[in-house]
Amino acid sequence: MVDFMLAAVVSAFLNIGLLGVAIGTYVQNLRVIRSYYTSGLVLVAFLLMIQNIVIVLFWFTLYMDDKALMMSADMVAHYLFSINVIQTIGLSVLVWITRR
Amino acid sequence: MIGSLVIFPVFSIMQIIPKSIFSFSGTENGQSEENPRFKMILWMFVAGTRGGANRARILNLIKETPMNAHKIAKSLNLDHKTVAHHLKILTKNDLVEKAEKTYGAEYQLSGIMSKNQNVLEEIMNKIGTK
Repeated sequence: MVDFMLAAVVSAFLNIGLLGVAIGTYVQNLRVIRSYYTSGLVLVAFLLMIQNIVIVLFWFTLYMDDKALMMSADMVAHYLFSINVIQTIGLSVLVWITRR
Repeated sequence: MIGSLVIFPVFSIMQIIPKSIFSFSGTENGQSEENPRFKMILWMFVAGTRGGANRARILNLIKETPMNAHKIAKSLNLDHKTVAHHLKILTKNDLVEKAEKTYGAEYQLSGIMSKNQNVLEEIMNKIGTK
């Protein structure tokens, strides 16, 4: 039995890492080219990073605080898992394009 | 069903977002015939990839006279390997092409790139003098 909730959080951490790489590249470009485009890329990547941080905090709250909440959260964990894994795949492609 | 339609009226997102957000340079140079799609691609290529600024500099350098990788590396004070990699990616993305197919060949702008040089100019203005 796969723990979907744990897998979802691992995926969220992967997303944060991938977004960190993307933001690093975008900030380097922002230093050279100051435009709405470069700053927009940094902003978008940053907001996605916040999203993933919130997902991790969400998981942390569920598991540390409330056992009853955890039981019902496990029932829908595969949804959260698929959301995160799809995002990981998408971000991997983005980072691959960005770092080539 | 009808109730949900009342709560979420169907309208296009274009109606609430002003058009100016989607145009890249505003309306001040309306006379140019640049391809907005190509403009987006070039901006993404320069702003959204590692070493994008150097890629723009390479394009700017070879826009008038075709150059080989060695010459480009010398002019831009870059590593030869870096330039070779940039040229490979630029070729794969159809922004430059080889002038002739021999070793140490000179590179020149591709057709679509030379048609849209004003986009490159706009990007180069943003880069400035580093």
